[in-house]
Amino acid sequence: MQAVWGGILFGSVYGLMALGLTLVWGAVRLLNLAHGAIFVVGSYVAYFFVSRLNLPILVALPIGVLAAAAFAYLMHLTFIRPVIGKPGFDNSTLIATVGISIAVSAAAILIFNPEYKVIPPVITGNFTVSDVQITKQGLLVIGTSLALFGLVYLFLTYTRQGMAIRAVSQQQEAASLMSIPVVRTYGMVIAISGALAGLAGVLLSPFFFLNPNSGFNPMIQALIVTIFGGLGSVRGALVAGFVLGIFESFVEVYYGVAWAQPGVFLLIILMLILRPNGLFGIGEVRRL
Amino acid sequence: MLEVRGLVAGYGGGEVLHGIDLFVNEGEGVIVLGPNGHGKTTLLRAITGLLPPRAGQVLLDGKDITHWKAEAIAAAGVIHIPQGDLLFAEMTVTENLLMGAYHGPTWSERNARLGRVYELFPWLKERGGQLARTLSGGERRMLALGRGLMSKARLLLIDEPSLGLAPIITQQIYASIHKVKQGGMSLLIADENANHVAGLADRVYLLETGSLVREGPADELLRDKALLESYLG
Amino acid sequence: MSAQAAVTAGVIRPKLDEAAAPWRRVSLYTVGAVALLLLVLPWVLLRLDIGTYLMTLLILFFVQAVVAQSWNLIMGYGGIYSFAQVALFAVGGWTSGVLVHSLGWNPFIAILFSPIVAVIAALGIGLPTLRLRGVYVVLLTLAFHELARVFAVTGPRFISGGGYGLVTVQTFQFGNAIGDQRTIYLYYLAGLIFAVATFVIWRVIHSPLGVAMTALRDSETYAVSRGINQFRVRMVLFTISAFFTGLAGGYSTHYNGGISTTIFDFPRIIDLLAMIVIGGWGTFGGPILGAGLVIGIDQYLVALGDYQTLLLGLVLATIAVFAPQGLWPLIRRMYETYLAPEPLAPPVEVSPAAPHDTKDEL
Repeated sequence: MQAVWGGILFGSVYGLMALGLTLVWGAVRLLNLAHGAIFVVGSYVAYFFVSRLNLPILVALPIGVLAAAAFAYLMHLTFIRPVIGKPGFDNSTLIATVGISIAVSAAAILIFNPEYKVIPPVITGNFTVSDVQITKQGLLVIGTSLALFGLVYLFLTYTRQGMAIRAVSQQQEAASLMSIPVVRTYGMVIAISGALAGLAGVLLSPFFFLNPNSGFNPMIQALIVTIFGGLGSVRGALVAGFVLGIFESFVEVYYGVAWAQPGVFLLIILMLILRPNGLFGIGEVRRL
Repeated sequence: MLEVRGLVAGYGGGEVLHGIDLFVNEGEGVIVLGPNGHGKTTLLRAITGLLPPRAGQVLLDGKDITHWKAEAIAAAGVIHIPQGDLLFAEMTVTENLLMGAYHGPTWSERNARLGRVYELFPWLKERGGQLARTLSGGERRMLALGRGLMSKARLLLIDEPSLGLAPIITQQIYASIHKVKQGGMSLLIADENANHVAGLADRVYLLETGSLVREGPADELLRDKALLESYLG
Repeated sequence: MSAQAAVTAGVIRPKLDEAAAPWRRVSLYTVGAVALLLLVLPWVLLRLDIGTYLMTLLILFFVQAVVAQSWNLIMGYGGIYSFAQVALFAVGGWTSGVLVHSLGWNPFIAILFSPIVAVIAALGIGLPTLRLRGVYVVLLTLAFHELARVFAVTGPRFISGGGYGLVTVQTFQFGNAIGDQRTIYLYYLAGLIFAVATFVIWRVIHSPLGVAMTALRDSETYAVSRGINQFRVRMVLFTISAFFTGLAGGYSTHYNGGISTTIFDFPRIIDLLAMIVIGGWGTFGGPILGAGLVIGIDQYLVALGDYQTLLLGLVLATIAVFAPQGLWPLIRRMYETYLAPEPLAPPVEVSPAAPHDTKDEL
């Protein structure tokens, strides 16, 4: 049962990361391989404010999130906006985001040192429920993740900007014909995605130690979740996050940690063979 | 109101429009007739910012909007209702309509504008929650029109309103467009089909392989059956 | 004329029209000169103090250039965004290493199996992956990379060596040669592998297969409608790429006397990627130029440590966005403008257009 808790916990984090990725893919058709780097930016900024400036984590958290969003937007301005609409877009942005990723890693090592850092959790303490140990921070993480999914859903469904984002995802030309500022919308989506990644970073870091490569693994997981749930689908990210989180946990418990990654890998391949669009994807994958 | 001078545009290595001159006056209904593939869609796209013109000018009330972004041109009241409708497939009817009113000042009036569009196409209100991709061809066309009308449009550019529709539906569509024109809207319609267009048109241009080969008052050109048949088969 | 006569008439191939196939016009003189230079180089270098150092650099260059070219073949030319290259290199390296280390084989024999096993691995990855669109290839190959890494680190002892990889693997022995003499032999072996790989890749690019792959990359729907089987083309390219990468891996194991699990670290992938991007994405000379540049600059900047990585990341991103063609086309153009006596053949290399979505086609 501990495994289920662990699965839900990680599932919600993966889901949160996947949400950012899937939003950006849906709107901008961009595979953001710097997503993990943004995770790191958020975490380290929060760490900085906590450890060097001695601010409480509750203050440092929103700062970290804002920093992550700002960083993401900056990345958009510098490396993505210039190539929007050009034929080499997919290419350029793929490599650019990879480059940014390692640049951030290196910067983190240079500014801080390669040693693992500790970020305090927002809520400390834990309790036990029928011999499952539950951390309060863990509850916070799950709660935040669900809340954010809910918020994003509401945003996308009922607000003008949210609907505009959906419109741009579905039919970009028509959107610009309705005076929706497409490129600005891209920037907004990327910034939101960045904020989500930063939030995931700050919330998750207390569970592991923070290091410059912290973001890489969550990002891979997020990629897997995104594809499993269906590229561009918010619902998919939510469901797939939990499904994969729990699945991974179970594999770990019954087969050992080493099998967790391969297990997920196999599951993903299975999904891609049976249902290439993922759980809720909308018919984009073309089979050869 | 809208003036196009010497417009040249194309895709990739090729040139599709070889210097187009046309104009639309306030309240006029102008039709561009021509067979498929001769540049009608390219023309509308070049005017509304979806395709950057290579040469020439597009003027709106004297302002040079040639290289304006599509969203700015739409905000200025030049609304392009594209070929193939380009609806937001995974959004509902109502959501599609609302997106038409995205522009700031319009958004605040969106409910009033919805009301006006519902007057034209009442069924849009009843079926508001239906996903756009489940609509029939004629319904999509009406939704696309309604969406375009949600904005504070002064000039509607409609690309092939009759494309892919049965004659009865086409009639309905054109009847609706007629109503819109009667409300004072200026129109620039590109179509291949001269039949239903007659009531709307004040002036007609004939487009052939990227150049305008004839122009004149509608009654004159449209009466000339022989001319029409030779151009449109 | 009768069918029989028509067939015999058709068999007489028309003489190759030089102008119609200008890419065949690579001057034999150029190739010969370069080959000669490379052959003679060691003897020259030995006279210099830093000669041995330069030779080891060249060996490194040969190995990296092979991998870079192989990756460029599938990514730059074929539009397959595979991140499994390093993993395949590792597969090749481990194969040969294990055969020698655990079974006591002779390195020269063992290395022959590196490309084979790498190809088998490639087939394994390729079958599910290459049917899918670009994004999915990225993910699945990254996942494979992770898988390979985990396996190498936590796998059975004879592979993982306790998590560090294989150490103390027997290296190439050339009779009784030692020291500089031995380095020369190593140099020639590496050079041979480089030459063969380069030649094969050149031939592939300038063959009907090569034309097919650029057609697929630049205009997928059209190519498919003309009967080009996308999946098959991709598989063949992927296999060829894996072959040489595995071979390079095998060589590397017996050159270094082992293979470490650090090979899976991200910086290695980045280095290779940089070679392709900076050198010239989707061009023939690009990865070669890039390999030389990256290795050279690497040596120069090694003192900077992490600043170097930071710089590399930024440079990579900047070039990808603002100069996606890389350096090779620029140099080529300068050559044509200033040095060539007559207009050279239009390069086969095309701008790095990504595989198009079908729904973006007009």
